[in-house]
Amino acid sequence: MLKMENLSKIYRTGLVETRALRDFTLEVEQGEFVTITGPSGSGKTTFLNVAGLLDAFEQGRYLLDGMDVSRLSDSQMSRIRNEKIGFIFQSFNLIPDFDVFDNIDVPLRYRKMSSRERRERIERAAAQVGLSARLRHLPSQLSGGQQQRVAIARVLAGDPRLILADEPTGNLDSTMAREIMDILEDINNHGTTLIMVTHNPEHAARAHRQLHIADGRMVDLERLSPMPLNRHAEPSVAAN
Amino acid sequence: MFAYNLRLAWKSLRRNPILSVLIVGGIALGVAISTAFITVYHVFSRDPLPNKSGVLYYVQMDNWDPAAPAHPHVSGLPPQITYRDMRALMRSRIPARQTASYQAALYVFPGDDRARPSQEPVRMVFSDFFPMFEVPFQYGSAWSRAADAADTGPEPVVVISSVLNDRLFGGANSVGKTLRIDRSEFRIAGVLAPWRPSIHMYDINGNPFSDPETVFLPFNWGERLEIRSTGNFDNWTRFDGNPTLKDILFNSEADFLQMWVELPDEASRQAYKSFLDAYTTDQRKAGRFLRPLDNRVTSMRDLIRQWKVVPPQTKAIASISILFLIVAALNLVGLFLGKFLARAPQVGVRRALGASRGSIFLQHLIECEVVGLIGGAIGLLLSLGVLAFFNKVFGSLARTQDFFRLDLTMVLAAVVLSLVAGAIAGIYPAWRICSVPPARYLRNQ
Amino acid sequence: MPFGPIFRAMTRNRARFLLIVAEVALTLAIVANCVSLIRQSRAELARESGFDDENLLSVTSRAFAEAFREDNYLDAAIDADARTLNAMPGVRAASNTYFVPWIGGGSSTEVMEGEKRFRTQFYPADLRLLDTLGVKLVQGRSFTREEFAPGSGGSAPANAISPALISEKLADLMYPQGGAVGKVIRDSQGVDAYRVVGVFGPFYNPYGWPIGDYAIFYPARSGNFRSIQYLVRAAPGQARTLIPEIEKTLLAANNGRNVEVKSIVEIRSFYNSRDQSVVVALNAVMILLVFVTALGIVGITSFSVAERQRQIGTRRALGATQADILRHFLLENWMVTTIGAVLGAGLAYAINVGLVTMVDGAKLDGWILVAGVGLLWAVGLGAALGPALKAARIAPAIATRNV
Repeated sequence: MLKMENLSKIYRTGLVETRALRDFTLEVEQGEFVTITGPSGSGKTTFLNVAGLLDAFEQGRYLLDGMDVSRLSDSQMSRIRNEKIGFIFQSFNLIPDFDVFDNIDVPLRYRKMSSRERRERIERAAAQVGLSARLRHLPSQLSGGQQQRVAIARVLAGDPRLILADEPTGNLDSTMAREIMDILEDINNHGTTLIMVTHNPEHAARAHRQLHIADGRMVDLERLSPMPLNRHAEPSVAAN
Repeated sequence: MFAYNLRLAWKSLRRNPILSVLIVGGIALGVAISTAFITVYHVFSRDPLPNKSGVLYYVQMDNWDPAAPAHPHVSGLPPQITYRDMRALMRSRIPARQTASYQAALYVFPGDDRARPSQEPVRMVFSDFFPMFEVPFQYGSAWSRAADAADTGPEPVVVISSVLNDRLFGGANSVGKTLRIDRSEFRIAGVLAPWRPSIHMYDINGNPFSDPETVFLPFNWGERLEIRSTGNFDNWTRFDGNPTLKDILFNSEADFLQMWVELPDEASRQAYKSFLDAYTTDQRKAGRFLRPLDNRVTSMRDLIRQWKVVPPQTKAIASISILFLIVAALNLVGLFLGKFLARAPQVGVRRALGASRGSIFLQHLIECEVVGLIGGAIGLLLSLGVLAFFNKVFGSLARTQDFFRLDLTMVLAAVVLSLVAGAIAGIYPAWRICSVPPARYLRNQ
Repeated sequence: MPFGPIFRAMTRNRARFLLIVAEVALTLAIVANCVSLIRQSRAELARESGFDDENLLSVTSRAFAEAFREDNYLDAAIDADARTLNAMPGVRAASNTYFVPWIGGGSSTEVMEGEKRFRTQFYPADLRLLDTLGVKLVQGRSFTREEFAPGSGGSAPANAISPALISEKLADLMYPQGGAVGKVIRDSQGVDAYRVVGVFGPFYNPYGWPIGDYAIFYPARSGNFRSIQYLVRAAPGQARTLIPEIEKTLLAANNGRNVEVKSIVEIRSFYNSRDQSVVVALNAVMILLVFVTALGIVGITSFSVAERQRQIGTRRALGATQADILRHFLLENWMVTTIGAVLGAGLAYAINVGLVTMVDGAKLDGWILVAGVGLLWAVGLGAALGPALKAARIAPAIATRNV
């Protein structure tokens, strides 16, 4: 699903160069659930940005779903982000002036899709995260957990092959965090590849594979559990 | 605290010079345009005679052709009166003062035979004219009432303007000298101080912004020396052949005189009105004034308004220019918002250090007002340029180079306008920045 | 196009949009009314006299020598001046007439046709009038030397039928059936009568009353002791040099007077100066206003982009292309401008009602508003383009930055 070979990413500020990723090599298989841990400034976020085509890299090769994405134009990358990748952010990144429905709608607006299909997808996704009754609420009227569920619904509506989650539970208390983890795990159980950056060792331990980044390099690989078998089935999560 | 806020405002202005120039420039433009156009309106509409415009009254009588539609003048009446009616009205003792007047043009011959004579604009008036219109004298004074019509006729006296006195006598005191006007010699009784009322208020029948005349002669010389009017002349009487001056003065409906009376109180106004009505009713017996009875005594203040002396566009443009300033100020709201919210973190620190919402609000509002005043000062300078331009365009009509001038009132108006503009531009951004929660920006970036 | 969500979002975050709405509305209202006032003044300024204005000069002779009080001397002086002027090199034609174009007035009388009364301008003139003005004889003939009565004084001969030339518009007004030539016009007092010998055109001279198009000329010398008036038509390009020449030549012929020469162009621009300054002032206000409004839209849109950086980054992360972001901001701006324009149209009419009563100005023409809305769309999009491009360049990686 995702294959990085000898990737390097350098940040320049004035005369100072920071190597955020060095000779970074990683392969993630379809349907896998991978967590990434590491200290602040180790390059976790840089890895996510590069993996999600949010940021360019200098050297190395990156194959996403079998396609070499190192030489793509900005709009081609936008298209891949829109159709293949789903993002979940630590601070949810909902659009504050949009209600739940319009927020879930955002990625769908960038596809050529009839308004009926969009409505169906939005309603289905909202139902999957248990927010059917709140479609006309504004983010500010929702709890943190509910907001993150909206963000997950936004991903589900787009039906991506890869989900990149950046500390999805970082801003939540432990009950809500566990709830979110259940939903994510369930989505993964139905076949979507999931890469998650986290600080929380308990959550990290729920993955098939746990990676550790330090100083822009992969330092540790550890397979924890076998791949699930029932891929490509519909997720059946229904959080309250 | 105020000085501290001023210093903060100044530092903030210097931090982002381009933005500051844009903001100051916007306010300067708005203030320049609105101050200039308000000044134009102010100059046009300024009461030319604030002490007297309420007690000086202009007389109109409807002696127009009974077979014709109403006189096409804006008032619907002939704007001037006839010589014979003037003679009758002047006999009234009701007004405290009164004068008839008309404009003429006569040659003035300088004492030096080598200099060419010049044709000068002349105003024929009674002696009351000078106190009625507060005409200022530099040397000498007006002639006496007795001189208007002594037993032997009017006295040969003249009042000249400072302009003519400069030209003929180099500005020296010329009272008592004689001056040849047309074919007669006149003794100079007075020389005016420089005098340029904003409106040619004693005669607004022609160009209401023209200069005062340079020569003032006793009215009764007009008949004696056959001095004809060069002003507007309305006459519906026809004569067989060329009429003599006597025909025009005594046997026609030729309107060419302005009649002014000073009526200090309501009682005298009523009395004068009744006197006029009685006069015209009596004249009907002689077959005159056959149109419906319509005599008017209008105060100078009302007359200037009713005759639309002030170009109506100036009021429209003045209002439009104020709207312009409001739009200019509204435009700056966005710029201030950006400027202020960019320093939200810093404000967060201030709030955490104990600054109240009120003091943050005040700090930013003062910054806006400082900007407003700087812009206003620049705008005031710019408006001088705009007014200079108007003087150039309009100067030919007013025949003066500083017809539009900023006075103290207008400078104050500019200050108020720039404060208002600063407030319009600043209140919302200042309110937004002071309602930033202190904690939000204190987390690490 | 996501009108719905953008509009719903706008209603929730009103302040910044209301600012633009207010600006656009005020701007449209002001611009529309300025244009309306300008069109009104321009219509006045655009009126043409129909004469050869560019080459016409007004010559005034003001006598001080006593000899001019004598009628015979005056007549001889007028004839001599007319001959002198016509003989000057660079002069195409010169005429002794009391008529001077563009001074905003003149003399008028009331004449009758049947029971109907007509007010018309009314001037004496000599034989060369039509040549001098540069107008055409449309019907009939001009004056003949025989019709030229001796004497002067600017008044028609009494109790005789004088020939007359009348302007085309007056002929149309008095004789809609045609056949003006040969008709006898009586003045409303029934004293004087004129036989129309010719009809000429074009003629327009603004007057205090709405009789600018109507004129009767009768053959007579015009002038008195105080002043004698001539019109001179210069050969093309000669007017400027003729001004001092004429003064010199006339004074050389007779020194007992002062001579003033003015170009009709100068007289006309003096007459037009008020309307002219109104047009200049309104144009300046309008241009500056549109400029300032554009500036304001740039400011507010920049601010709104800066404020929504994270949101833009998120949209990019969720798959929006740069073009999508650009389109989003332009669309948002267009919607706000349009709302402002709709309110502005209403406001424009409200202000116009005030202006109509204040200035007896013209009613607002709907097309001005349509053009104004078009202008504001263009200005709004132009102003929003810069900040919108800046928004499109915001890096998607901003979405993962944690505050």
